[in-house]
Amino acid sequence: MPVKIHIHATHRQFTNGLEVVAVEGNTVGECLNQLIKQFPGMEKALFAKKDKLLNIVEAYINHVSAYPNELVKPVKDGDEIHLIIMLAGG
Amino acid sequence: MLTPGERERYDRQIMIREIGQEGQEKLKRSRVAIAGAGGLGSPIAIYLTAAGIGMIRMIDHEQVALSNLNRQILHWEEDIGRKKIDSARAKLRNLNRAVEIETIAETITEGNVSQLVDGCDVIVDAMDNLPTRYILNRCAIEKKVPFFHGAVNGFEGRAMTILPGKTACLRCMYRGPVPQEKFPVIGVAPAVIGSIQATEVIKYLVGIGKLLTNRLLIYDGLKVTFSEFTVNKNPDCDHCGSPLTPSLSPAGERGG
Repeated sequence: MPVKIHIHATHRQFTNGLEVVAVEGNTVGECLNQLIKQFPGMEKALFAKKDKLLNIVEAYINHVSAYPNELVKPVKDGDEIHLIIMLAGG
Repeated sequence: MLTPGERERYDRQIMIREIGQEGQEKLKRSRVAIAGAGGLGSPIAIYLTAAGIGMIRMIDHEQVALSNLNRQILHWEEDIGRKKIDSARAKLRNLNRAVEIETIAETITEGNVSQLVDGCDVIVDAMDNLPTRYILNRCAIEKKVPFFHGAVNGFEGRAMTILPGKTACLRCMYRGPVPQEKFPVIGVAPAVIGSIQATEVIKYLVGIGKLLTNRLLIYDGLKVTFSEFTVNKNPDCDHCGSPLTPSLSPAGERGG
C-alpha cells in the first residue's frame, strides 16, 4: 500500500479536487516531492523555498504531529500524511 | 452555596451527573478571562454566562462594525460604532444578571497582558490573529493558568486546551511568523469552535471529562467531520520548554 497524503481543502484546487493522493516515499519530504510531481501547483501551496515548508503548513503522520523537521521524518507503506493549515481567524 | 433562584436556573445542568450542585458551585466561584469579543468570543461568552460562571472578563479594543454582524452574535445593528465590550456587557447582563461581567477596552500587548488577565482562573483564546495568541500563550505559561485555544477560517476550525507545565502549548509547533490577512469566515464556524472552547472551560473548572490536551481538534464544516491529531510538548519550545524535567528540578525551582 502506498502512502496516502490527505490534502487540505484549500489546496484541492491544485489536485483536481482530490482529497487523498497516493504516493511512494520513505520520508515525508520524499512523499511531498512525489505529490508535487503529480500536481506541480502544490509546490507553492506548501513550500516557501526548497526544503522549507510554509510557516502555516502542518504535517501529521498517522494523526501524530511530525514537527519538528517534518520533511525528514520516516514513513512506510500504509502510513497517512495529513497536511493542515494553521488557522488564525476568530 | 446556591440560592434557590440559581438552583432553579441551573436545574437542567445540575441534573447532569458529572456536574451536580458541587460542580455548579465550582462554576460560580470561577473567574474567566475571554480575550476577544468577536466571532469566537461571542458564543464563548454567551454559553459561559448561561452556565453560571462567577466572573467573566471581556477584553477587546474594537468597535462594532457592520462586517462583524455575520458572526459576532453578541453585537447587533444598533451596536454599530459602539465599543464591543460595552455591547457584550449589555447582552450578557441581560442573559444572566448574577454573572459579574468585567470589561477592558485595551489592545493586548506583552506589556499589559499579565495585568489584563490577573486574578483569572483560565484564559480563553478568542483572538483574530496569531501574534496576540502567542502573547496570551506565553502569559498563560508564565502564570500557570490554563489556556483554551480556538481558531477559525471559512467553514473550518480548530481547538486545543493547554495546561501549562503539563501539555503542549500553542507555541510548541511554532514555525515562524505568518502574514496577517483578512480571513474569510461564516458565523456557524466560530459557533462550533466557540462552543467547544466553552465546553472545555466548563469541564476544566468542574474537573470532569477528557480535555483536548495534547489533542488538536480540527473541524471541517463543509464535510461535517471532526479529526483529532496528537500534538507533543516540545522540549525546545521557547514558551514552555525547559532544560530540566520537573522531577529533576531542585526543590522550589520553577520548571518550564
